[in-house]
Amino acid sequence: MVWLWFAVLALVLWGITGVTQKLSTNRISSERSFLWFCWAMVVLSAAVIVVARPHWGLGTTVVVCSVAGGALNGLGAWTSFRALESGGKASIVISLISLFPLLTVGLAVALLHERLTWMQGAGAVVAIVAAILLSLEPGVVKAKA
Amino acid sequence: MAGEGRPRRLPLWLFWSLVTIVMWGTWGLVSKIASDGVDAYTNQLLFTVGILPLLIFVAWKVKRAAAGEKREGRGRGVFWAFLTGILGGVGNMAYFQAMVKGGKASVVTPVTALFPMVTVLLALVFLKERLGRVQWIGLGLAFVAIYLLNA
Repeated sequence: MVWLWFAVLALVLWGITGVTQKLSTNRISSERSFLWFCWAMVVLSAAVIVVARPHWGLGTTVVVCSVAGGALNGLGAWTSFRALESGGKASIVISLISLFPLLTVGLAVALLHERLTWMQGAGAVVAIVAAILLSLEPGVVKAKA
Repeated sequence: MAGEGRPRRLPLWLFWSLVTIVMWGTWGLVSKIASDGVDAYTNQLLFTVGILPLLIFVAWKVKRAAAGEKREGRGRGVFWAFLTGILGGVGNMAYFQAMVKGGKASVVTPVTALFPMVTVLLALVFLKERLGRVQWIGLGLAFVAIYLLNA
């Protein structure tokens, strides 16, 4: 269950970013905010090179998936801003994109052959419903990661 | 906005929302695949490599729009955006580490998707925002979900 603590840590840190992002976009445009978000990622990676010892002997699949992860995450954040700027109501857009874990669950079950207990399956559904309900307040606009 | 000029079958906001779902939904899958062969630190480096083309594109767009943008409060805005990136990046590493430690993509992703519960609570305390009844229900369901996912 060690994985759970890391998942909760991610949940808490991403939750805090919901507030810091709002504090940012109250003062600057979403694109400038996103730009500095990306620069922070670069600085964090530079710190990782200095502090940690990255492992370089990697397979092609791993490298492609890791790089694709960054691209998909970044593009997702950018397209979420585009959705909000294209006339979509924040309450609808954010609730809709909160459904993304459904796709991950579907893909993981179909392609990685992951199996869920009925309790976990119910938990996944309840989690997604909860995320949608929590996102119905248009006051806090957030981007993943 | 969709609908100006000639009618669109799919509103633009809906199109971008669906693209977002595909991007983030697939991100969970590729993260799980990558977690079989790389540690969270190295993944963060490669993750940043993946984000670089977008950084260049957005930097170009920001530069183009800079003339019409107000300067008041920009420093603070940049500070909060930068902090968002640091927290988001460390959060990414924790998310990835959860998968490295054996968490299933189909469980870890729904758990971490509950992050709005933290945002809502912080907004309640620090931004003095008020919670609606629906959000209180969402908050309760979030705890139920965490219990079920870990039963």
